[in-house]
Amino acid sequence: MAARRWVRTGAFAGIVTIFLALVGLIGGFTDVFLIGDEVTFAGLMLLLPAFVAGFVAAAPRIEGGERREMSLGEAAVAAAVAAASAGFVFALAVLFTDLIGDERIRPIFLNVSPSLMEFVAFGQSTVVGAVILVALSTMAGVLGGVLRAAPPVIRRPVTAAVVVTVLFGFLQRVIPIALDQLSLERDWLYHPIHDGLTWVGAAVVAAISAGISLLNTRFGARVRGSLSSSIGGRSGLAMSPVRLIASVAAVALLIAAPLLLGSVISEVLGTVMVFALLGIGLNIVVGYAGLLDLGYVFFFALGAYSLALLTGATLNVYGVPPDPAISGDLNFYIAIPIVMLIAAAAGLLVGAPVLRLRGDYLALVTLGLGEMVTVLVGSPWLVPLVGGPSGMRGITDAAIGGFAFRDPQRFYYLALAFVALAAFLSWRLATSRIGRAWTAMREDEQTADAMGISTTRFKLLAFAIGGAIGSLGGALFAVKIGSLTPASFQVIVSIQVLGLVILGGLGSIPGVLVGALVLVGLPGLLREFEEYRFLAYGAAVVAVMVLRPQGLVPNVRRSRELQEEERAQDEWAKAVEEGETPGELGPPAEVTT
Amino acid sequence: MAPSLRGGTLAGTEAPHVAVARLGRFERLPWRRIILVVLGIVVGGVVVLGTLRTLGLDRVEGGYSGGAWRDFIVQGAAQGAIFAMIALGYSLVYGILRMINFAHGEVFMAGAFGSFFFADAYAKSGFLNRSPLLALAIVTLVAVAVSVGTAVLLERLAYRPLRNAPRLVPLITAIGATLFLQNAFRGFFGPQPYGYPKPTVLAGNITVLGVQIQRTQLLVLVVAVICMIVLQWFVATTRTGRSMRAVAQDREIASLMGINVDRVIVVTFAIGGVLAGIAGVLFSLSFEQVQFTMGFRPGIAAFTAAVLGGIGSIGGAALGGFVIGLLQAVGPPLILTGFGIPSVFSLKDAFVFLVLVLVLVFRPGGLLGTGEAEKV
Amino acid sequence: MSDPARSPSADAVLEVRGLEKHFGGLYALSGLDMEVRRGEIVSVIGPNGAGKSTLFNVITGIYEPDAGDIRYQGSTIVGLRPHQVVKLGIARTFQSVRLFANMTILENAMVGQHCRSKGGVFGSIVRTPGVRAEEDRIRQRAEEALSFFGKRLSGYRLEQPAFSLSYANRRRLEMARAMATDPQVLLLDEPTAGMNPRETLELRDHIVRMRDELGLTVVVIEHDMRVVKGVSDRVIACDYGQKIAEGTYEEVANDERVIEAYLGTKAAG
Repeated sequence: MAARRWVRTGAFAGIVTIFLALVGLIGGFTDVFLIGDEVTFAGLMLLLPAFVAGFVAAAPRIEGGERREMSLGEAAVAAAVAAASAGFVFALAVLFTDLIGDERIRPIFLNVSPSLMEFVAFGQSTVVGAVILVALSTMAGVLGGVLRAAPPVIRRPVTAAVVVTVLFGFLQRVIPIALDQLSLERDWLYHPIHDGLTWVGAAVVAAISAGISLLNTRFGARVRGSLSSSIGGRSGLAMSPVRLIASVAAVALLIAAPLLLGSVISEVLGTVMVFALLGIGLNIVVGYAGLLDLGYVFFFALGAYSLALLTGATLNVYGVPPDPAISGDLNFYIAIPIVMLIAAAAGLLVGAPVLRLRGDYLALVTLGLGEMVTVLVGSPWLVPLVGGPSGMRGITDAAIGGFAFRDPQRFYYLALAFVALAAFLSWRLATSRIGRAWTAMREDEQTADAMGISTTRFKLLAFAIGGAIGSLGGALFAVKIGSLTPASFQVIVSIQVLGLVILGGLGSIPGVLVGALVLVGLPGLLREFEEYRFLAYGAAVVAVMVLRPQGLVPNVRRSRELQEEERAQDEWAKAVEEGETPGELGPPAEVTT
Repeated sequence: MAPSLRGGTLAGTEAPHVAVARLGRFERLPWRRIILVVLGIVVGGVVVLGTLRTLGLDRVEGGYSGGAWRDFIVQGAAQGAIFAMIALGYSLVYGILRMINFAHGEVFMAGAFGSFFFADAYAKSGFLNRSPLLALAIVTLVAVAVSVGTAVLLERLAYRPLRNAPRLVPLITAIGATLFLQNAFRGFFGPQPYGYPKPTVLAGNITVLGVQIQRTQLLVLVVAVICMIVLQWFVATTRTGRSMRAVAQDREIASLMGINVDRVIVVTFAIGGVLAGIAGVLFSLSFEQVQFTMGFRPGIAAFTAAVLGGIGSIGGAALGGFVIGLLQAVGPPLILTGFGIPSVFSLKDAFVFLVLVLVLVFRPGGLLGTGEAEKV
Repeated sequence: MSDPARSPSADAVLEVRGLEKHFGGLYALSGLDMEVRRGEIVSVIGPNGAGKSTLFNVITGIYEPDAGDIRYQGSTIVGLRPHQVVKLGIARTFQSVRLFANMTILENAMVGQHCRSKGGVFGSIVRTPGVRAEEDRIRQRAEEALSFFGKRLSGYRLEQPAFSLSYANRRRLEMARAMATDPQVLLLDEPTAGMNPRETLELRDHIVRMRDELGLTVVVIEHDMRVVKGVSDRVIACDYGQKIAEGTYEEVANDERVIEAYLGTKAAG
């Protein structure tokens, strides 16, 4: 019966592989090399599901209330069965396609391309290709299974090595540029023709990351212990030394990035910073105050357009006088506080009638407001004010004296400064009386009210501050692009920002940065993936919510709330022996009579 | 300065700092109610004023004839029928799981897209025009199968692991799923719209009770009404329907009574899928186009309809659907034209969102509901 | 504040007159009258469903009454939001303990001081000296409130999440949180429910100390008659949303209607 479970896991992985092939993540990437001229992105996608199937099949099971680890042998068998099934399912699909002819499927599923068929047959006949496929899948799966069953001392460094190496493979357009800027030799690390890592380079990267990981697990705890006792031991202050070094390195990298990476990549990083700013703002609303706002694009648009109007931008429409109906001629730095005030006021205005609504309804009301903005800015009705579908142009470049910021490298620093400012504000608020009120409200709104917190006031406050920061993001975006069209203000922006906040970890400011880098930066750096950006967003949001609701860089308390809710409820229920209602964390039980 | 715990105070003396705590007159005002009343007056005023001004317009000034209004109403009703069918999917799931299956609009899109390839093939082979009834039946079956498959997969993979999570977690997941499904279909079939074939029988108009209406619209209305009657019958009388009602009342008790809750939930998602699939075909026949983004706005409109009617209630979703359809078709020309706003139909969607916002603000319980946003 | 000429009892800090609250056809409160004098401990007893918790919910503004008046220090508090009621000096605990489970114990108590502080956005960001002093004061006051229960909620426990506490300690923390709001009147809803006999006796002493040492006026809903007997200056018995008896513990305990209410509901239940 265990075997049936393994087969089921494998079959699912096989279906995932078919899915990846159909959306084009295999066939379209046969020439994106990650390592040498053997490991391509297509190959990674082809075998990754089998690897994961093996990993999952070998996971410890809870049997009779006890956690049972698999032995290495068992794990290998389980993983092999699962992965072979995965390979088999995919191979069947390939054989089937070959049987009826891929040219007859292509009109429907556009990505069943000749290059895909050739790739999955490994240049052999289809039948031989299928056998190779099953064999390779099985190998990948066994690797996954053995890795899962291996003791942490082995598992952690190996995982680190694999993940970092693949990441370096992905950063093939980024790291070589930096090496060039520093006039370092690059050909040993990155292949001069294929762009991917060389095998030597891969080995070095893997070895270094494995080593760091090993040091961290071995000695991390001890150093952490001595550090925290010397500081005086407030829990949460102590950081592992690797994390401390990593944070310092991350900050240094953030500052040096545009100099190292040149203007093309700085352009992408500028967008990352704009989104990070939006993320910090939304994080206040969603992460701190617990209000799911799906209409954040409202503030983004408000910021961009009001900056444009205040600083004397012109309409981008023929046959209409170029000046908008309302127009100011302010300096960027004078306009910014006004823009933020307008946004905060708008937040209050919009929030006041809707904030008493239950969470999910609030989400949809805000979604509705966001969509209304999208429709309105593009409608012919508002052409005299915001230019309608063709938008506005001639937006200020935020110059100080003669020093303009439109250039991507300079813009990055402007945006970084604002991000740092917003992060600081957000952090200060989170650790104050106001942050405490938000937390209490998020945990149990009714009780917070009964303990003296005006929930309406603090919700409005979150909305206003979040909105002000969002409008700042919009204003910077306008400066970066120099012109505005309604196409930039679709509801998808709201969901993108929400996605990066969730991926990074609700309530966590470093999480927002990481989320923005991963979800905005990576697809921006690898142009081939542009098309798959939103697919990745969707998958990331679902996966994070189902597998790791606390996000990549979690906020301690938020992660307790999201992850340990059930455990807390269990304890709670256990403690209540006299038949009380243990419903404190769920929907509040009726407190009547 | 602060002595430990105001120790030793005698009964009857007042603690010093509490005397300071007074509420100002300003704080005592019921602010929310005031805001709502003001908002209500403003909205009502705009609606009445706009309507009066529009009705006062001549044809030359941009007014509409009686026939135009009749067309708007028929068109709105047909649209509303489709919204109602999608809305039922939201409402059923909400009734059982108390979650908003935001991705339901994509279930609808999946069905429509899935059926397209069959409809297209039949159109090319001539089968669609030779025996339109049989062809459309097969096409609809395909749409239903794809929609049901999507809905059930969604439940199994994305929502089931989150059954006991805080309320917003499944909603966020559903938003992720929406994005994922849209872009998966974009990946499969490309970003371009496809022209959906329509059998020649459905082209042109037909006169019913003295009113000229498009044949497609008639088909939409008839099919939608039949579907809703069947659904009502199913939920009211069958064993499965009874289980569904029991689970909606109290999931735990129902499971103690021997009802397989998981199965009931799957069935609920499947029924939502069936309706969405049929709606997908009807929508495609009306608009003669399918594209990966087609599910989003009808989805929102349908959700609005479900809330308007009182989410969780079948009759409410049906009613809400028709009301939203009519509002969307009649509202913009009736209210906005009077203010001299150009091309009012481009604001159709904004109008629906405005209705959504107003419904949730003023009657979150829906037309048939109690009007309570949340029980204490 | 109160007007001695109008009010029958000049020293009443809390007065309830003709209070009604219906839920559909259910009359949870139907014309309840009661008053609480400054510095006394009043127990509200009654069978399940007698409307006791509803009374607390209406007083604290969670529900709005359908009829009747609640006067606190002479002026009405009907229609105020719960947080405004707390600010005026009426704090409460819940029958089903409702803590902020993922906040630490100290933070839970610090939330209680929220309504006595006013640090705004600007102050919080800049950390003005005023705000810093206020934050220190909040913390100190919260620690004081927690130390009312001895070592149970102090020391290393301050930084632990509330969900890690035992059930009895959760009840204590909830009381400490309410006390941290610097109230005049404290409403305790079944404070000993779920506690063992030893903890119950200890809590009885705590309630008495709240009155004697802190000068608090306490209204307590309680089922445990030993506690009621041990703490009450006065006992009010309710049934079907009305007051059926009032007086000392002995008077109420021997009242025929009270006995009937208890036995009657027991027989029916």
